[in-house]
Amino acid sequence: MAEFLQLLISGLAVGMVYALIALGFVVVWKSSSVANLALGQLVLFSSWFTYGMLVQANFPLWLGFPVVILFALLLGWIIERFALRPLIAQPILSLITVTLGVAYFVEGIVTFIWPWSVDALPRLFPIEPFHLGAAVVSQEYVWVAGISLIMFVLLTLFFRYHKMGIAMRATADDQLAVQACGIPVTRIFSRSWMFACVVAAVGGILISSIGGISYGLVETGLKAFSVVILGGLDSFVGAVVAGPIIGLCENLGGGYLTPFLWAGVKDIIPFIIIIIVMLIKPYGLFGEVRIERI
Amino acid sequence: MGLPSGTRNYTYAQDMAILRTKTHWALFTGFLVLLFAAPLYMGNYWLGVANLIGITLIAATGLNILIGYCGQLSIGHAGFIAVGAYTSAILTNRLELPFLVGLICAGLVAGLIGLIFGIPSVRVKGFYLAITTIAAQFIIIWVINHWSALTGGFVGIKVPYASIGGFVFRSEASQFYLIMLIVVLCTFFAKNLARTRVGRAFIAVRDNDLAAEVMGINLFYYKMLAFFIGCFMAGIAGSLLAHWIGFMNAEQFTLTESILYIGMIIIGGLGTTLGPILGVVFIRLLQQLLTVELVPFLEKSLTALPGGFATGVTPMLFGLVIVLFLILEPRGLAHRWTLIKSAYRLWPFSY
Repeated sequence: MAEFLQLLISGLAVGMVYALIALGFVVVWKSSSVANLALGQLVLFSSWFTYGMLVQANFPLWLGFPVVILFALLLGWIIERFALRPLIAQPILSLITVTLGVAYFVEGIVTFIWPWSVDALPRLFPIEPFHLGAAVVSQEYVWVAGISLIMFVLLTLFFRYHKMGIAMRATADDQLAVQACGIPVTRIFSRSWMFACVVAAVGGILISSIGGISYGLVETGLKAFSVVILGGLDSFVGAVVAGPIIGLCENLGGGYLTPFLWAGVKDIIPFIIIIIVMLIKPYGLFGEVRIERI
Repeated sequence: MGLPSGTRNYTYAQDMAILRTKTHWALFTGFLVLLFAAPLYMGNYWLGVANLIGITLIAATGLNILIGYCGQLSIGHAGFIAVGAYTSAILTNRLELPFLVGLICAGLVAGLIGLIFGIPSVRVKGFYLAITTIAAQFIIIWVINHWSALTGGFVGIKVPYASIGGFVFRSEASQFYLIMLIVVLCTFFAKNLARTRVGRAFIAVRDNDLAAEVMGINLFYYKMLAFFIGCFMAGIAGSLLAHWIGFMNAEQFTLTESILYIGMIIIGGLGTTLGPILGVVFIRLLQQLLTVELVPFLEKSLTALPGGFATGVTPMLFGLVIVLFLILEPRGLAHRWTLIKSAYRLWPFSY
């Protein structure tokens, strides 16, 4: 039972971070129908950048985080402006592969600047474990889950009440109508990329504060795809619901299946979920089923 | 594209011919002679590069049939190559079967695995399929790494030299002939496939699969066929790669390698036979130039180089090349080549 509780809490926490990263994908997909396959590399890059700020440049936390957020905003703007903007209205194949090119490029930058490939962020959260009945739960997970929850609330408020959030939802709904209302659609695209980079950065910081920074962060970003697929590509609710489900499957499966299967089964569970969802319900739990016409 | 000036077709056979004029034939034979005489004028080092290019070309041709003709995006090609490589390695090393059996089985097994992961393509496309194939890549590599009783796990597996009958392909030159023979066969197959009923069906599926289905094209059959052919060629390439390197380890088949394959056929030009050839030669030569010539030279002459320069600069440049090609020349080098050819044909009255 104690083990179950531990796995439950860590699974929920990690799943919420996946959901956070997945939200970045969904926003870009909804506003500009670009599939951002560079998610993993963005998570990797921003985690290393945080490392650079907090450890190498020795900034205090209150200064380091705003710098990281600013950097993420800039990164999103650059990617949209120079890689995606020239390809507006191109076939989906080009749009997907251009993000792959960006992914490759970002990975090159990361190995260029931080060639040692594994390191740890300084402790962001207190480490004393606390007891929940018989279970010993590391406090980090609770902090991570809490911060993710706060982010969700903030994002919901943003999309519901802020002018830009409403404009982004409108763009997702109908680009032509939005353009007719005088909202610059290209600016919305740009904002959605900036938004995606920021949530990737926050997700990256949260994940790497627990597990350290390594190349595995790319896989973390890719696991966010399983969240997107399970929840439905174009659904915010889907991402928020599917994230914890994936995290739970991953952690509980990793905890209980490893004795029967090979070690490391945990890392592969999200990808197996992708295949299963594809075969059974390809548009996910909350995704809109596209009806095609010739 | 227009024919060279003064060339007329009087029969259907003439109209269908790939090589139409005497000049075509002369150039083509000359090229083949030059290619197969390569061991005479190339050193072992460049033969090795040529072998790598050949192996990559087989896989890229398969990927081009899948993506370029049938429009089914696959980002797990390195995974399927790994399936072929390991099948061949296991059959020849552990079971000591002859090389040819390993080669054919590598293709078949990779094709079948491709079919399994291709099944979702019947219902979904575009990004969904991309994600499925990424998942395929991770699952395949994970199985290879952990099924160590069969594959050697993280340690890797040794692969004997290829041999047919009593002849062992030990030197680079002999392997060059083996690989290039298969490359020529594959390219010939791909070129002709595109002109048959199957190829036309692929193109119809790529351009609009719904319309294709309404016209009576069996989507399931043709999409599966594209996956099978694409992954079969990947398997063949994997088998050759295994016997060429002599040692297999799952680290040779990363996701970035898969991305690079897509980069190659995009740079070359999707949906053309010439495209993969140009793209593969371009990328592999660039890679060789960077890692073997340029980076050591820069490291020697500039002492204050950051530590990650050698490993970081290659992916950076490749990413940049892919993005720039997509923006500036989305139809690839093959299109540029057609433009040059037609300008030459119309000279001096080009317009």
